[in-house]
Amino acid sequence: MSQNNLKTLAKHFTRIIIIISILLVLIDFTFHRHAYFALEEIYGFPAFFGFVSFVFIVLVGKWLRKILMRKEDYYD
Amino acid sequence: MTNMIPGLWMILVSIFLPVIPQYFRQPVMLLSVAASALSLLNGFGVFVEWEILGNTLILYQADNLTLPFALIFHLASVLVIIYGWHNKNLMENMATLAYAGAAIGAVHAGDFFSLFIWWEATALTSVFIVLAGNTPSARSSAMRYLIIQVCSGVLLLIGASLMTLQTGNYLLTKLDLSNTFGLFIFLAFGIKAAFPLLNGWLQDSYPESSPTGTVALSAFTTKLAIYALARTFPGTDTLIWIGAIMTAFPVFFAVIENDLRRVLSFSLNNQLGFMVVGIGIGTELSLNGTVAHAFVHIIYKALLFMSMGAVLHRVGTTKASELGGLYKYMPFTTVFCIIGAMSISAFPLFSGFVAKSLIMSALGGQGLILIYFVLFFASAGVLEHSGIKIPYFAFFAHERKTKVKEAPFNMLLAMGIAAFLCIGIGIFPNYLYSILPYAVEYHPYTIDHIISQLQLLVFAILAFLFLVKFKLYPAEIKSTVLNSDWFYRRMLPGIGKPLFQTLQIVVNRLYLILNALFEFSTGRSKKFANLSYFKVTTPSFAATILIAILFVMLVLAVI
Repeated sequence: MSQNNLKTLAKHFTRIIIIISILLVLIDFTFHRHAYFALEEIYGFPAFFGFVSFVFIVLVGKWLRKILMRKEDYYD
Repeated sequence: MTNMIPGLWMILVSIFLPVIPQYFRQPVMLLSVAASALSLLNGFGVFVEWEILGNTLILYQADNLTLPFALIFHLASVLVIIYGWHNKNLMENMATLAYAGAAIGAVHAGDFFSLFIWWEATALTSVFIVLAGNTPSARSSAMRYLIIQVCSGVLLLIGASLMTLQTGNYLLTKLDLSNTFGLFIFLAFGIKAAFPLLNGWLQDSYPESSPTGTVALSAFTTKLAIYALARTFPGTDTLIWIGAIMTAFPVFFAVIENDLRRVLSFSLNNQLGFMVVGIGIGTELSLNGTVAHAFVHIIYKALLFMSMGAVLHRVGTTKASELGGLYKYMPFTTVFCIIGAMSISAFPLFSGFVAKSLIMSALGGQGLILIYFVLFFASAGVLEHSGIKIPYFAFFAHERKTKVKEAPFNMLLAMGIAAFLCIGIGIFPNYLYSILPYAVEYHPYTIDHIISQLQLLVFAILAFLFLVKFKLYPAEIKSTVLNSDWFYRRMLPGIGKPLFQTLQIVVNRLYLILNALFEFSTGRSKKFANLSYFKVTTPSFAATILIAILFVMLVLAVI
C-alpha cells in the first residue's frame, strides 16, 4: 500500500507537468514573446534550452563520476 | 545610540553568555540582535571614527549599500537563533552570535584596516562553529577552514598596507586590478567569495558543521565578500567571467555529490556566481540585482539548509543514499523545503525570480549574449540540484521503512518565517526594491518573462522525469567527490612530504657531520641541541610555511 502512495504521487505529478508543458508551448503560438536576444524569441526556445541543458548537466555529471568519484573514506 | 557600532552588542553579549543561565540564553541573544538592529534607524552617514597614531579609522558608516546587507544580516541572525533555540552547545551559541555580530560590524567599516579586523573576527568566530560539528572530520576541516580564512585576511592586510604606502589612502574606495594592492585585495575577497579553484573550503567545511551551525555559516562569510566586492570592484570586467564560471561549474559537482548539505554548498557557490556577474557589469541595475539576489538568497539558502538540518537532526544523516520517503513523517519540513527549492529555482511568485531578473535584464541591456545564456543554462542547473535533487532524494525517491518525528517546533517556526518571506518578497517585490542602493523602476512580472522562465523550468522538470523514467538519472552512491580542496589535501602534501623528508635527512646528516667534527677536534663527545623536532607535522606546519611565504611577499612588496 505504502509503495503505491509514492507511485501514485509520481504518476499524478508527471501528468500535471506534461499538461503544463503542452500549455506553455501552445501559449507561445498565441503571441510574440519579447526578449533581449532574438534567439530567445524563437518559438519554444526556452523550453528546448531547459530540456537540453538539464539532460546535458546530468549526463556530464555522470561522466564526471569516472574522474572525480572516490570512496567515501578517501580523505580519512 | 548612534555611537554604538552595529553588531557590537551581539559580540559583547556573546562574551557574557556563559554567565547567563541556560534557559535565558536564546532570549538574551535575540535581545542583543534587536539592540544592534536599532542602528538600522540611524540613517546614512559616518557615525564613529577612531583616532589612532594620527590616522582616522572609520568604524561605523552607513549608506545605501550597507543598509540592505545590515538588514538581511540582522534578519538572518534572528532566523539562526530561533532555529537553534534548542541548542545547548555553549561554544556554538557564543560563536554564532559573535560571528553574526562581526559580519554586521564588517559591513559598516569605512576603511580597509577596520574591515581587516572584522574580516579576521568573522574567521576566528566561525571556525568554532565548524569545530562544534564535533566529529574528527569536522575538527580537521575546521583547521583547514581557519588556515584559508586567515590567509584571506593576511592578503587583505598586505593589500591595505601597500595601498596606504603607495597612495596614502586607506578608505574603502573603488579599486581596480591595474596595481599590486588591488590584486591582493581582490584575491582576499575572492577567497571568501569562493571564486573558482578558491572554493574548496566552502564545500569542505559547511557540511561538517552541526544542523544549526551550517545555517549560520551559509548566511554571512560569503555575502560579506560579495558586499566587499560590490563596494570596491564594481564594473570590473574580469568579475563577469569569474562569475559566469562560478554559476556553471559547481552545477556538475552538485549532480553527483551524495551529501545533500554538500550539494547545497555547491549550490551556494553557484548562486554567488550570479551576484559576482552583477558586480562585474557594474551598472545601477546590475548592482541592484546583486544586492537583491544576496538578500533573497540568504533567506532561501538558509531555508534549504534549515530543512536539511531538520533532516539531520531527526534522521542523523543527510546522505542521499540513506534518505527518502520522509514526506510522510516530516510533512511541514517537506513543504518548507519545496518553497525554498522553488525560490532558488526562480519560479514566478517566489523571491528568486524577482531578484535574478534584475541581473538577467542588466546582461540583456548590455548585450552580453554569451554570459546571458551561460546564466540561463546555470538556471536549469539550479533547478537540477536545489530545485529537484534536494527535495526529491530527502523526502521522496522511495518509501521509508522506519518512522521519524517531524522537526521540533522552533525549527519549523524559523523555516516558516523564511518560507513566508520567500513568497512575500516574490509576490510584493517592491518592498525589496525600495531598499536597494539605487532607485530603479523595474517590473519583473511581464508576460514574456514569466512564460520564458516557466518554459525553461517546466521543461527541465520534464527532462528530469524523462531521465528517471529511462533510468538515466544517476543513482545516489556513497562516495567522496573530488573538489578544489584536493589540491591542498592531497596534491600539495604529496609533493611537500617527500621534499620536507629530504630536507629533514639533509639537516640530520649535517648535524651528524658537525657532531663528528666536534668530537674530532675536541676529543669530547658532546651533542649540539637536539634536532629531532624538525619533523613535518601537517597541516599546522604547512600553514606556518604558507603564512611565512606570504609575510616574505609582504616584505618584498614593501621594499
